[in-house]
Amino acid sequence: MPWLYLHFHHLLLNHVARAMEADAPLAVICQGSRRVLQAGPRAIELGVRPGTAFKTALNLAPELVMFHADDDRQARILEQQAHWLYHHMDRITLYPPDGLLADAGSVKRLYGGLLPLRKALQEALAERQLDATLSTGPTPLAARLLARAGVDCFTDSHEEMTAHLATLPLTHTEFEGRTLQRLNRLGLTRLGQLQQLPPAELARRLAPETLAHIQRILGQRPDPQTSWQPPRDFRQRADFGLPVEKAQGLLFALQRTLAELENDLQWRQQGADTLLLTLYHYRQEPSRLRIRSTGPEHRAEAFLNLLRIRLEQYPLQAPVEALELRVTRFLDRHTASSADLLGETPDTGEAWHTLVSRLQARLGEQALTHLAPAADHRPERAWSARSLARRGRDPIPEHLPLRPLWLLPHPAPLQAAPEEWLGGPERISGGWWDGERVLRDYYIARLPEGQLAWIYRDNQQGWFVHGWFG
Amino acid sequence: MSYAELYCFSNFTFLTGASHPHELAEQALANGYRALAITDACSVAGIPRAWQALKHSDVALITGSYFELEPDTPDHPPTRLILLACTRQGYGQLCQLITLGRRRASKGQYQLFTDDLDSHLLTDCLCLWLAPTAQEASFTCALKAGQGLHNRFPDRFWLAASRALACGEEQQLHRIRALSRELERPVVATGEVHMHDRQRQPLQDVLTAIRHNTSLEQAGHRLFQNGERYLRPLPVLHRLFPEEWINETLVIAEQCTFRPGELRYEYPGDLVPPEQTPASWLEILTRQGEQRRFPEGTPAHIQALIRKELALIREMEYEHYFLTIHDIVSFARRQGILCQGRGSAANSAVCYCLGITEVDPRQIELLFERFISKDRDEPPDIDVDFEHERREEVIQYIYQRYGRERAALAAAVIRYQPRSAIRDVGKALGFDPAQVEQLLNGIDWRDRETDWRSQILDKGLTRHKRVANQFFTLVNTLLGFPRHLSQHVGGFVISSGPLSQLVPTENAAMAGRTVIQWDKDDLESLGLMKVDVLALGMLTAIRKSLTLISEAKGEPFTLQHVPREDKATYDMLTTGDSIGVFQVESRAQINMLPRLRPEKFYDLVIEVAIVRPGPIQGDMVHPYLKRKHGLEAVTYPNEEVRGVLERTLGVPIFQEQVIKLAMVAAGFTAGEADQLRRAMAAWKSHGDLTVFREKLIRGMRERGHSEDFAERLYHQICGFGGYGFPESHAASFALLVYVSAWIKRHHPAAFYCGLLNSQPMGFYSPSQLIQDARRHDVVVLPVDVNHSHWDYTLEGPDGHLRIGLRQVRGLNRQSAEALCQQRPPGGYTSVQQLRQYTALPQRDLELLAGSNALAAISGHRHQSYWELLGHEEAAPLWVSEDGDDQAYLPGGDRVDLPAPSEGQNVLADYASQGLSLQRHPLALLREQGHLRNCLNAQQLKTAEPNRPVQVAGLVTGRQRPGSASGVTFVTLEDEFGNINVVVWLNTARQQRKPLLTSRLLHVKGIVEREGDIVHIMAGKLTDLSHLIQTLPVPSRDFQ
Repeated sequence: MPWLYLHFHHLLLNHVARAMEADAPLAVICQGSRRVLQAGPRAIELGVRPGTAFKTALNLAPELVMFHADDDRQARILEQQAHWLYHHMDRITLYPPDGLLADAGSVKRLYGGLLPLRKALQEALAERQLDATLSTGPTPLAARLLARAGVDCFTDSHEEMTAHLATLPLTHTEFEGRTLQRLNRLGLTRLGQLQQLPPAELARRLAPETLAHIQRILGQRPDPQTSWQPPRDFRQRADFGLPVEKAQGLLFALQRTLAELENDLQWRQQGADTLLLTLYHYRQEPSRLRIRSTGPEHRAEAFLNLLRIRLEQYPLQAPVEALELRVTRFLDRHTASSADLLGETPDTGEAWHTLVSRLQARLGEQALTHLAPAADHRPERAWSARSLARRGRDPIPEHLPLRPLWLLPHPAPLQAAPEEWLGGPERISGGWWDGERVLRDYYIARLPEGQLAWIYRDNQQGWFVHGWFG
Repeated sequence: MSYAELYCFSNFTFLTGASHPHELAEQALANGYRALAITDACSVAGIPRAWQALKHSDVALITGSYFELEPDTPDHPPTRLILLACTRQGYGQLCQLITLGRRRASKGQYQLFTDDLDSHLLTDCLCLWLAPTAQEASFTCALKAGQGLHNRFPDRFWLAASRALACGEEQQLHRIRALSRELERPVVATGEVHMHDRQRQPLQDVLTAIRHNTSLEQAGHRLFQNGERYLRPLPVLHRLFPEEWINETLVIAEQCTFRPGELRYEYPGDLVPPEQTPASWLEILTRQGEQRRFPEGTPAHIQALIRKELALIREMEYEHYFLTIHDIVSFARRQGILCQGRGSAANSAVCYCLGITEVDPRQIELLFERFISKDRDEPPDIDVDFEHERREEVIQYIYQRYGRERAALAAAVIRYQPRSAIRDVGKALGFDPAQVEQLLNGIDWRDRETDWRSQILDKGLTRHKRVANQFFTLVNTLLGFPRHLSQHVGGFVISSGPLSQLVPTENAAMAGRTVIQWDKDDLESLGLMKVDVLALGMLTAIRKSLTLISEAKGEPFTLQHVPREDKATYDMLTTGDSIGVFQVESRAQINMLPRLRPEKFYDLVIEVAIVRPGPIQGDMVHPYLKRKHGLEAVTYPNEEVRGVLERTLGVPIFQEQVIKLAMVAAGFTAGEADQLRRAMAAWKSHGDLTVFREKLIRGMRERGHSEDFAERLYHQICGFGGYGFPESHAASFALLVYVSAWIKRHHPAAFYCGLLNSQPMGFYSPSQLIQDARRHDVVVLPVDVNHSHWDYTLEGPDGHLRIGLRQVRGLNRQSAEALCQQRPPGGYTSVQQLRQYTALPQRDLELLAGSNALAAISGHRHQSYWELLGHEEAAPLWVSEDGDDQAYLPGGDRVDLPAPSEGQNVLADYASQGLSLQRHPLALLREQGHLRNCLNAQQLKTAEPNRPVQVAGLVTGRQRPGSASGVTFVTLEDEFGNINVVVWLNTARQQRKPLLTSRLLHVKGIVEREGDIVHIMAGKLTDLSHLIQTLPVPSRDFQ
């Protein structure tokens, strides 16, 4: 006692806005109901509100940047907030999608009162550009409801908190719709009115769950909380509203993320020597970068330099929609790094795995791929080089068309007229939708030197060899 | 060198075929094919359109269908085959098989088994077998399947071979040859045609992706590997196929002699008594009708008309048609269902005598030729409106009278519209759905539809020109493609024999409904008769009002008793007092009434027709008004034009006048005029009027008309497209305008009562109707458990309007009726008693309490509700947790809840009934001093023009009509009535937020006045919704 609840107004939006330099109107929309769920300050200025129909929102703000709501993503982001809150407070409980509960009583003395704690938290929020309401309450549920109602209640006085609760509108008590309707029809609008009615009379008129809910608010019924434990790994994600096309643009977002990492390492009193950076692209395999420092490091600045060098070497393959930074190995700040790459590794079991990891470490992740068939009529697109991570995940179709095993990287002009025509024509025309349209008649033919060739004629009447059967 | 294509999908094999039937037909003709079979999947829906294109050509149209039968066992491949109809009989057999397959499956699907080929006679059909590939079945398995089919079609069996130049084709051809040798039956060349031209490959790919609900990128091998499945030129075919395979196509084509033109529709003959001929019977019925319609004797000129019409009907042999409609209408009349024919039938005196139409031939000039013309040789078209709540009875009567084998609804072909086409093509091209929505949203659909392309480009929503071009081409081609068959609103086809011999029927979405595979244009082109059984809400309302008037008078009062040409009624309309009146209750009509000042029936006919896109876009409204009020001389360029335009003072108003003008003023031939008429009707979906433009303007100039007039006429023609409003139609509607206005003027309580009991219908919500009723001094009484019935009723000697229980949202009708039935003579005295007598579910009782219907027996709504809830047992949880439960025995404490405030009552009324008899929310706000400088609707009537004013009201309507470019009309409601606000485009753009989101809007603007019509030209808009945030006011956003 008391409990403290942080209600984030629009976590997903804050998260996205943080990674953006431009100040565009933002909104999170729900694809199902076609309504706005969260609206950023610029969007609100233009009249977009949570609940506004998607269509109306676009009429109000044609340049609106929209994101689809994503519960998983928001849950991950919420957990990121728990990380830093954990540095300040104890006994944290996650209330997805947008709230955190903590026990303010246990740290009150550490901070020398509630006010310094509030100041510390508000600074932490401001630093992370998060919009949130903080509220204390005599019970976990009371704190939650007050925070969500936007009531400015930050006190450990039981009387004050109870007074705030009494004026809480019933619409903010999280009663289910039917109960709320009932209470509304009785002319009851505030929690205090409910408390004044004879409990037994009220009990006859409300559902047991509603009563239990009221009792939890008032502390007449236990409401155990499950405390959150920080995971061992460090993991932080940044999402971009508009895809980032240049490495320079990534550095802006990375700065923040690395600052979080530095905080985290500071708090752990440890260092790290390997950063795993994943860049997510639209409809494409993500790029995975592994950045190593020579020894345990904890300064954001140092990591940033390493990353800058690395990104200069490898230009972005495609615009980046999101990035994720992971650290899975934490080192004592003063231990020397492991002697060399060929030293002992914990999983020596699989030679294949070792080989692949080493090759990847030497050549870079992108350098290693495996072959897989792809569903496309164009021969040059009928196969693909996939990342090793996807190996075995794509089923191989039952019937593959008759194709030569040896397909030339580029069709070569046919030098001599074939001796014998063995099959064809097979006409392939397609790919008009991605700008790589082909229009060819394929034949199997024996060339004068005896090779069995797969040749084609294109729509310019040119003849080419595209592969060898043998 | 010749060829017959026997395997060809049109786009009636939905999301598969990529060409219209007529495109295929024209291509076959251009290629010099001997014959073309349209073989859609279990369907003949594409046949009529192909027939239209081929009936006068040398290319024979063969009717066939493709089938994929269910596999005999799960590991067998499905049997695929094509059946072609040899003769009329074979066609009937084919239709029956299709009907069987379609009726067995859910909407849009079909299901057929190999056994169905045995149980159904297919003696006059040929079978083309599409043998399974090596990957699908082993050779022996395929051979067995082939033998099975061969036995069923002994000499009528071929193996179909296609050359799409696909991978693995050579093996398949080998296999077909081997099967042919084993089965000793010939191979026939087929094209497996999916499109008329190779250029359609991209669209075909897109359709495939849409069908598989995926994108082109992801579609992979589900796409065809090339675009060879088109109608290939003869030299190509001869290069690809052996001579004898091609010759077989001709052999088969020779055997298929059936042509759709042979379909002879026969009218049902059931209705003629044995001793009569159809003609004599129709004459007798007409004469009986005459005596009813003209009890004082038929005027001579009408007698002559009737004689002329009967002669023409006899000549065209349309008697059965009239008899059928007469039968349906008579049924409705016997059941007391109000009905009225609309459309061109109102031009017939015979229809008037038969009771099909109601417009008295003495009131308007009848032009029978518009209804039936010897030259057009088209079956007449009679649409009959019935009361919307009772149309189902009429439909059931038709089914019962003719049987489900002989009567079915016509299909409505649902086609791709710009919105759906953009959405689907966007999806196939892999656009982000949100991006496509953004694109769609950026298009102003109220602009003329043809401009959406430039609208998209203007808005810069697609950056890449190449992608844009591809996208537009695909969308444009896809526009008008059929997507699925739906059910026509009420078009029945009735035949003398089983319908499935004539056209297949399939299941509609609605349970127990079947539709035929052809739509109304198809029926027309094949000469089939259709009867339109339509639903009209106003007929329901009028019938209910008439019943109330009869009850009050103590004697029957029917439509015929409504006095004609009542001056008081016209006076009322002239003031724009027309809320609830049929057709003229919209804002635009309300504004037109005082300008047009109707004084006689024909003025109403014009009133109905003039507020339409046609006359408005043709800029014909002002000239007409000027001439009507004598501000401009009525002149005619020549006598011919006078003949066309005399009734409308020289200004074209009706659709047929415009067509007639094209003939007399621009020199169109009758045939060209008819083409123009068709193009206008089809314009909205796929027609093109620009071809007529030049001819029209040149023709008119040559004949000495001004270019300006010609341009306006052309615009009017465009405006008529899709919304054609012929005079006879307007006349039928005007009659209902008059009748409903008369009732409103002389029996207002009965009028609103009838309307409210027919909801939902019309333009206004019950709340608006009740407010209007009160403004017309109708006393409205609240819903009350001891006085209300399910419907609204007129109560007591003064006929006060009592709100019915139907207005209580969510209240179960059975419960409400039980409540009324069980009600003791003195009324219920307590909630206990109510519970005992009616055993109403708790939910319904709560709804009643919420509506304040229990006020008389258990106090105000809060208290009533508290009492009701107390009925339930205490939740055990609380009692046990509480510890000392003895203190609170059930029924122990008497609790007095605070009575609701006026504001709470208003809110609760709206929540429960969507209306309130308490003071209007605006009155409350005004009292609280929120709207200090605002004029109310009453004060506004006398406000000086061109002065700045402030107004405020609940937003009940926002409209951007297509005919008023860029203007938004906002309707505000306050305690005294409606306030009309006009928002210009620039104002709207700058103040989107208050305009689009306010529920309570404050407007600063300038008063504009024209006669009795007052508008506010909006300047500053302010959202005041926070004052009444919780008030649920329905707004009709941008309809």
